[in-house]
Amino acid sequence: MEPYRPHEILIEQGEENAAVVRRALAQLPDVPVRIVEREWERHTKLSSEGDPFAAGKRRLLFTRQRAPALHYCPAGTPGLVCCNYLVISLISNCPMDCSYCFLQEYLANNPTLKVCTNVEEVLAAVAAVVDRHPQRHFRVGTGELSDSLALDPLLGFSRNLVPFFAARPNVLLELKTKSDCVDELLYLDPKDRVVVSWSLTPPDIVDSEEHRTAPFAARLEAARRVQAAGYKVGFHLDPLIEYPDWEAGYRETVARMLAAVELRRIAWISLGSLRLTPALRTTIRRRFPHTRVLSGEQVPCIDGKWRTFQALRVHMYRTIRGWIQEAAPQVPLYLCMETAAVWAKVFGHTPACDRDVARVLTGPHLSPPVAG
Amino acid sequence: MTQPDIPCALSERVAAYARERRLSPPTLARWQAWPEEDKAALLVLARELQLNENHLRDFLDWLEEIAVRDRCRVADLLTAPAIQQPLTAHTARSEKLKGVKEALRKIRYPRLSRLEADLRAAVKALDLGRQVRISFPPALEGDAITVTLTARNVRELADCLTRLHQRIEDGRMQKVFDLLDQA
Ligand code: SF4
Repeated sequence: MEPYRPHEILIEQGEENAAVVRRALAQLPDVPVRIVEREWERHTKLSSEGDPFAAGKRRLLFTRQRAPALHYCPAGTPGLVCCNYLVISLISNCPMDCSYCFLQEYLANNPTLKVCTNVEEVLAAVAAVVDRHPQRHFRVGTGELSDSLALDPLLGFSRNLVPFFAARPNVLLELKTKSDCVDELLYLDPKDRVVVSWSLTPPDIVDSEEHRTAPFAARLEAARRVQAAGYKVGFHLDPLIEYPDWEAGYRETVARMLAAVELRRIAWISLGSLRLTPALRTTIRRRFPHTRVLSGEQVPCIDGKWRTFQALRVHMYRTIRGWIQEAAPQVPLYLCMETAAVWAKVFGHTPACDRDVARVLTGPHLSPPVAG
Repeated sequence: MTQPDIPCALSERVAAYARERRLSPPTLARWQAWPEEDKAALLVLARELQLNENHLRDFLDWLEEIAVRDRCRVADLLTAPAIQQPLTAHTARSEKLKGVKEALRKIRYPRLSRLEADLRAAVKALDLGRQVRISFPPALEGDAITVTLTARNVRELADCLTRLHQRIEDGRMQKVFDLLDQA
């Protein structure tokens, strides 16, 4: 995987001495640097010529995080079964460029790749929440508005995150990635409370749609390495992409994924159909005119997003679930952003409530909740 | 040799059509970016059907998506019998448009179209009469079917219910539900 190299580094005034800034500058000595005012992006008229989203990825802005640190995952939507996931956003936008990425729409008006300079403060705010509720289990991720690890060689956030979460018996951290940037993790002790997970699509989809990500084999090799270093691993077959050879592609994906790691150390596997808002479809068409992701039999669903039509995606889920459960019956499997009806068709039952899903996922990895 | 001005003339004809039908600049730009033969084939179709912005955008979407998925050329798609048949039928323009769109949708959504056709056939085979209507969720998304009964008196209502009850008892109604789940 090519290391990330911005065209320009912007530093919010007053943040020049933040540890993460100094670390990045030391690694990118010849990239031009500018000091900018607070909320620079909001006050700056960025060019709308060419591909502003791609340009935003090449502009690296270090800025203080002022908004609340912990959010519910934006995937939670009324009518859909949710896994009660919390997210911390330390980075906004991603150095990679998957054709289907929702950030193209979500960050269309503020595409600059932003990195938070006050990670300790953010983690202190997280501690204030999770330590106040020792009886509750939390599952927290950092991969919602960016990839969790792609910038780790540059920023080293895992050195803050892993010890912080390893010290908390009621929280499970998930680092979700399409990269192979795991070197920093290998020297940290996750104390079984960190899951490193990979999003996987079949190798030919990785090559044609997931631009600048790590190749399929490199992701599995990275999974093998972190597992050997004491981490649990997870896999997300999400987005599931329907294309003419999907069955062969996903059969290979599942077989190679399950052969790469120790099955008993897989924390979870999720399945989630490709889902695209109408606006995102328009953006994808413009940015990736030769993409294959729009060519499946997708229809608009209850939440306004386009997915493979229900009967076909249920068939895909059932087929893939069958392969996984045959080889690894003990691994927790869940669906992302699906209705109770689809859960029932795929698994034969519907979770009683969203907390049920969360319990199945966090329960085996965290100590029993403290009474109270 | 004057041959090189042909592509240029084609772009001009496409632009003229866009002016005539007040197409938006992004739609025109998308069309103009196509390979010459594909661009020309769509122009023939657009002229014949007098496609406006919305219809043309649907055609651009579907044709591009099919061409990528099936690794084929738009020009070949548009000259295939499945499209030419409704296009050259001796019917009103609106009928032609409907026929061509239907034919193209079948190519774009082969499994969904097949499932819809199977469901229509299954409902027809139920032979429930005109007073019982069965409808499916849009794009078959969801798992509920809607049954509408129309009755002018209690006897008609009882007839509808009897017929429905029979189809439930003999398992034919179950087949409709089962089909809804099969891709
Ligand atoms: S890796 Fe994730 S965040 Fe990055 S471009 Fe791909 S989908 Fe988007």
